[in-house]
Formats: sequence, C-alpha cells, structure tokens
Amino acid sequence: MTPILTVEGITAGYGRVTVLNDMSLEAGRHGNVGFFGPNGHGKTTLLRVVSGLLRPKAGRIVFDGEDITGKSARAIVGAGLIHVPQGNRIFPDLTIADCMSLGAYSARARPHEAENREKVVALFPKIAERWRQRVRTLSGGERQMVSIGTALMSHPRLLILDEPTLGLAPRIKDELCASVLDISKGGVPLIVVEQDIEFLLELCRQLYLINHGTVATEIKPGESIAHAEIMSMYFGQHQDH
Amino acid sequence: MMDPIKRNVRAPGRTPWQREAAGFMLGFAVLALLPFVFADSYSRHILIMAFIYAIVASNWDLSLGYGGVFNFGHLALFGIGVYAYALLTKLAGLDPWLALVASGVVATLAAVIVTIPILRLKGIYIILVTFGFAQLVMQVIISQSELTGGTQGIVRIPGLYLFDHNMVRDAKIGYFGIALGLLAASTIFLRMLVRSRTGASIVALRDNEEYAISRGVSLVRQRLITLAASAFFTGIAGAFYAAYQRNASIDVFGMSLATIVLSMVLLGGTGTIYGAIIASFVLTFFGEAMADFGAWRPMITAVLIIVVMLVYPSGLVGMIQAAWAGLTGRLKRPA
Amino acid sequence: MGALAEILFGGLFQGSLYAMMAVGLALVWTTIGVFNFSHGVFMMLGAYFAWQLVEVGLHPAAAFPLAVLATAGVGWLLQAAVVRPLIGRANLVLVVVITTLAAGSLIENGVLEIWGPRSKQLPPLVDGNTMIGSIGVSLHQIAIIVVTPLILGALWMFLTRTRLGLALRAVAQNEDASQLVGLNVTALYGLAFAIAAGLACLAGIFMGGYRFMSPVMGADPLLKALIVVVFGGISSISGPIFAAYLIGFFEAACSYYFGLYWTPALLFAVLILTLMVRPEGIFSSRGRGLA
Repeated sequence: MTPILTVEGITAGYGRVTVLNDMSLEAGRHGNVGFFGPNGHGKTTLLRVVSGLLRPKAGRIVFDGEDITGKSARAIVGAGLIHVPQGNRIFPDLTIADCMSLGAYSARARPHEAENREKVVALFPKIAERWRQRVRTLSGGERQMVSIGTALMSHPRLLILDEPTLGLAPRIKDELCASVLDISKGGVPLIVVEQDIEFLLELCRQLYLINHGTVATEIKPGESIAHAEIMSMYFGQHQDH
Repeated sequence: MMDPIKRNVRAPGRTPWQREAAGFMLGFAVLALLPFVFADSYSRHILIMAFIYAIVASNWDLSLGYGGVFNFGHLALFGIGVYAYALLTKLAGLDPWLALVASGVVATLAAVIVTIPILRLKGIYIILVTFGFAQLVMQVIISQSELTGGTQGIVRIPGLYLFDHNMVRDAKIGYFGIALGLLAASTIFLRMLVRSRTGASIVALRDNEEYAISRGVSLVRQRLITLAASAFFTGIAGAFYAAYQRNASIDVFGMSLATIVLSMVLLGGTGTIYGAIIASFVLTFFGEAMADFGAWRPMITAVLIIVVMLVYPSGLVGMIQAAWAGLTGRLKRPA
Repeated sequence: MGALAEILFGGLFQGSLYAMMAVGLALVWTTIGVFNFSHGVFMMLGAYFAWQLVEVGLHPAAAFPLAVLATAGVGWLLQAAVVRPLIGRANLVLVVVITTLAAGSLIENGVLEIWGPRSKQLPPLVDGNTMIGSIGVSLHQIAIIVVTPLILGALWMFLTRTRLGLALRAVAQNEDASQLVGLNVTALYGLAFAIAAGLACLAGIFMGGYRFMSPVMGADPLLKALIVVVFGGISSISGPIFAAYLIGFFEAACSYYFGLYWTPALLFAVLILTLMVRPEGIFSSRGRGLA
C-alpha cells in the first residue's frame, strides 16, 4: 500500500522563527497515524503546512501521488485533504445547518452533500437536534462535533484532526472518541494529533513523536509500546533541557 | 548594592542618550544653518512649513505610533490651536506670545475632553469617534460665525514679535528662528517622554493591554497623558501657523491636510518621532519640487504613498535601513 | 400634522441614502476587517460613470446598471491593489486607512482631470413632482425611498439565502476555517469590495439626480456613513441600516426644530454620548459577523 501523505524535508515557521526543521514522515501505509509530543513543538504548524494555510520554506508534500506543496488551501480541500483545526471556534454566528452547507462548498463535495449529511446526522445525533442553532450557543463538545461534521461534509479522502478532545469533559470525550473510531471504520483514513496516548494507541497503528520541530521517534506497527515508555519519552526529552 | 551585570545592560536597539543628544545637536545645527544657504523668503517659507508639519506629525506619532491610539482628530487639535490663537489675540487682545502658549493649553484641554469618550474604546471605534470629534469642532466653528467668521475664516490676526526685530521685512528669518525653536522644543519634549518610564508604560499598554493593566499600568491615566502630551505642541504649532499666516480658515479641518500629515507619520515609520520629522521634510520638499506638475501633483503624491506603504511596511525609516543594509552588504562582499 | 409629515419624509429620504452608503462600509469591515476610506469616492465615481453613459446617449435604464457594474469593478481592483497585499500586516487597519485615502485622492483628482470641475447633473429616476399632504416632493425622492429597501432586502436575501452569501458571512467570522472548507478568501474579499462599491454607485446615482455632482461630492456622505456605522455598530449590516434611518429621522427633526446650522453639532454630540454608554454601537452584539 502506498502512503497517502508524504512529507519530505519540510522546513517552515513564522517570520524569522523556524518551527519545523527538515521534517520527513509518511502516513497512510498502515492505516491511521497519530502525532504526539509536547506542546509548541510543531504539530499544529505541520498540519497548517499540509493543509496549505502556511507555505513551507523548503521541502515537499505529496498527497496521494500529487505534489501539493505551495498549493492554496482551497486546492488542497478540493483534492480531498480535510483538516479540522485545533480549538472549536469555527463560525460562531452561523447555524449548524450553515456550517454543513459550507462543508459541502467544494465542487468535489457538492454531489455527495445529501449522502454526507445523512452520515453526519447518524454519527452525531446530538447536533442534528440543534440544526438551526448558532454555533456560539453550543457546548464545547457539540462545537467539536460541528467541526468534524463540517469536515465530513467536505467528502474527505484523508481527514486530519488536531486535538479533537482538547478541553472536553471525560464523558463527552469518550463519546467523541467513539465517533472518531466510527469515522475510521467507515473507511476514511485519519491523521490525529492527541495528547491522550490511550486514545491514540486504540485508533492508530503508527505513531510519531514530534519534538523540536522534527520527528523524534517513530513507532511502527507491530512494535508494541507501553504507555509508560511513551511517558518516559516525554520526560526523557524534557530532561535534556 | 548594584547588580554588576545589570549596570551594563541596555535595551536592545536603544541608542544611549549621549549619542542621541549629539545627533540631535548636529541635526538642528544643520537646520539652523539653512537660512544662510537659502536667503530668499520663498525657500524659507517652505522650510517654515516643513517645520510646522514636522511638529504636528511627530506629535501625532506619539499618540499613534507609541500609544497605539488612532486619534484621527489630531488635526482638529491643530485647528483648535489656530482658532484659539486667533480669538485670544484678536478678540481678547492677549499678548501674542501668551496666546501662543495658551493655545497649546486649550488644545491640551480639548485632547483631554476627546479622551474621555474613547477610554473604553478600541481600534476602529477610536478612529470613528475622534474623526467625529474633528467634524464636531469644525461644525461648531462654522455655526458660530459671529465669532469665528464661519466658512470665511478670520483675517488680520496679530503676528508674533521678537523684541523690536522687524518681522515683516526680514525675509522671514524671524519666523524661521521661532519655528525651528518650537520644533526643537517639541522634539526634545517628545523624545524625553518616550524614553522615560512613562513612555515605556505607554508602549507596554499598546503592545499588551491586559498584561500592562495587570502589572499596574493605568489605562485611563496613560491614555490621558498620551493624548494630552501629543496635543500641547500641536496646539502651539497651530497658533504659530495662525500668527505666521495672519489668518485662520476651516481648511485646517479638511481631509486633505489630515491625509498629508498622516502619510508623513506613516511614511516616516511609526514609533520613532524622528521618522515623522524626516518624512515631513521629504514630503514638503517633494511637494514643492513637483509644483510644475500642477493637477498631477496630488496624484503622484498618492501613488508614492501607496507604493511606499506596500513595499516598506515600516515606512521611510525601514527604507533607509534596507538601503543601508544593502549598501553595507555590498561593501562587505568584495572583501 | 405638517411637521410630522415633513420629518417623516425627510427622515425616510436621508435615511435611505445613508443606509445605501453605510451598508457598503459595514460589509467591507465585517468581511475584511478594514475601513475603506475611499468609499465616498466610489459614490462620486459611480455618479460620474452614470453621467458619462447617459451623455453618450444610453437610456438611464441601461446606463445606471452599467455604471454600477463598472464601479463594482473599480472596487474590486482597488481592493486587489491597496488592500489585499497588506493583509496580515500588524497595523492593517491603520495602513489601509492611509492607502484607501491615498487611492481615493488619486481617483478624485483623476475625475477632476477627466471630467473637469464643472457641476453636472443626472436625470432623476422618475421625473415630476407631487404633493404629500401640504409638502411638495419630487417623484425622484419617492423612488429612492421605495427602491432602497428593495435593494437592501435583496442584499439581505443574498447574504442569508445563497451559498455565496453564506461564504461571505463565513469569511467575516473565521478566515482560517473558511480556507479549510475550501472558500476562495481573496475572491470573497474582492466580492465584498465590489458589492460595496456598487451600492455606493447607486447612492451616487440617487444623489446626482437631485443635486449637482462634483469630484468632492462623496466626502460628506462618507462622513455620514461613518457616523451611521459607529451609531449602529459595525459588527453587522442590519445595525447600520436601522441606524441610518434613525439618524435620518433625527436630522430631519433637528433641522425642523433647531435649524440646519445646529443639526451636525447635535448629531455629533449625541454620537459621542452614545459611544460613552454603548461603545460598540446601539444595535450591535459582540463579535464580528454579517447579517
């Protein structure tokens, strides 16, 4: 199986600050991929580069055989690579229904709008009840569901989730994790950034520890790894300082 | 006991005051010599206008660049200075020099009044309210035509005097000297303010309001200080302008003057004081150089402003820095 | 009775013009987060376009829509030239104020060069006069009062009922998220400017039909539009519309009771007082968003 996403020697940052330093990885050869690592070390920046929000200074990104480096976010969405950003602010003054039609804005997603809407409703019956409500009136978990639902409306061929469970209450979090697992079972490959290692281990067979703007460790499928070892990776990195 | 390390530390990119004072003296010495090069009254008139613009623009830089307060009524403070001087000398019969200082005080009071409604406001709302304030002042002046002459303005305003020096037949050397003196006083005042602790707290408030407030900086007090300080010499410049021109008109409240002075501030690069002064000189002389272009002049100026804003985000100062870096880079390379 | 009719009519008429101008300013502010100080120049330019097209022999019914399209095109170009390249600058709001002012001055002087300083007048929308009760009014003014709500209603439908309008509202709220659902943010910025310029052109056509046109005719309406949006709150477009009519009535009442001289001063005094009590305008909610 060829990787759906290949990142080759990406260097990127903001202004004079370099966040990603010659980072290379590939995803999708063995199903879902998880990224973890301390905050502020480049996970979100990597996702912004992949989805076209941030132009890399060097390197190449290949999505399903097509070079997408430097393409606009719109073109990348058009190719089917959908990124759900961190935080759940999306469109505070639009209704859920509005968000869903926006999700189906690209020409690729338009023909599948009805079918995808049914999928979203089945997956998140909670937000279906509040279809005409503004996003700002929803709870954090519901807003995250709207974010993911909007992304599903874009008919993803690869779905990237940036810390989907951040800041959620444990019960809501479990619910959302179950939904994410459902999406994966439905056949959409995922790239997930998470701090919850248990959830990542359940969801993914391949993990990358991202530290100092580069891949510190790759955990390949079949390599058994215990929670404790991952924790020691965190601490090991921290002791360097 | 003093920390041995701390003693030698200074803020990065900050010129020691001795060096700044030396540069300041040199710069103003050069300016003071200019009338010997330009002996005709027309050239000196251009220089006087450049100094007035420089005072207004550099004071605007205090509120806009350092304070981050988008006071679009700054030219109204200048206009208030113009009318305060005109009314105080002509109607109240006050001594011109006293009226000059009083006009600065009146402009400062006006700045305090306009600060009150914008204390709770941010960004664009400050632009709109201060812009409205400027229009309000203009409307009041127009509607009180028995006092202010309305749209006709005021003519035959008493001029300034210097002992028994003849201010009229001196090829404008008297007014040149006063204008230069005012610019020097205003610049020293502004630079001392921005280099002081108060100046630091004004910048802190601009860059991170919540944090500065949480560290005990008072938004109300600091905004009042910023706007009042930026008004004093602006009002005096207005009074001087009225004394020099011998008339007052509501044109000083117009958008075109505000646009020109604002472009001086922004072209100069905000938050430097000197940048605004240099840009005032450049734009005034540039405007004069283009006098032959007639109707094309404002268009060329507009294009120039846009191009500089697009290419050099930090204004002329950034342009000079970039040119300097390019030059030194080129000098180093052949070695 | 006569007083009421006069205030009512004057308020509706002025309010219509103000609303037409203010909505464009608010549209650009909500989508891009900048204030377009060349908005008054759009109004003037649109009136001159319309005048030129009528002058070459076009029927107003063809000339006016063409002028609106042409002005919308200029709006788009201006956005691409002096706004889009600056997006992302730290002091965006301020820099755009100066670049749009400069661009406005460029256009204003260009119009003066091309069309000269002599006053011009446009044909009215509808010819003739009529009486409402005891006051004489022109049919042109009545047409403006009727047409403006229709156009604003159409804009409202566009923003709330179409997918493109939805996209504009989305960009106003979250630019990153808009890009991530595949919206063409730069095109939407251009569209917001184009619509605003087109509306300003309409206001110019309205004004040119009952007053003499000049290259500086946009300055005062820009100022009024600014007041309207401050008053109504710039975080929506419905706020400025209500505020436009409210200010129209206020002005009509003021000039009836206190005279024309004191009206602007009273208006500004009320404006400043309003902002001291409600800094974000009387009709505004928190946050930025269209509709």
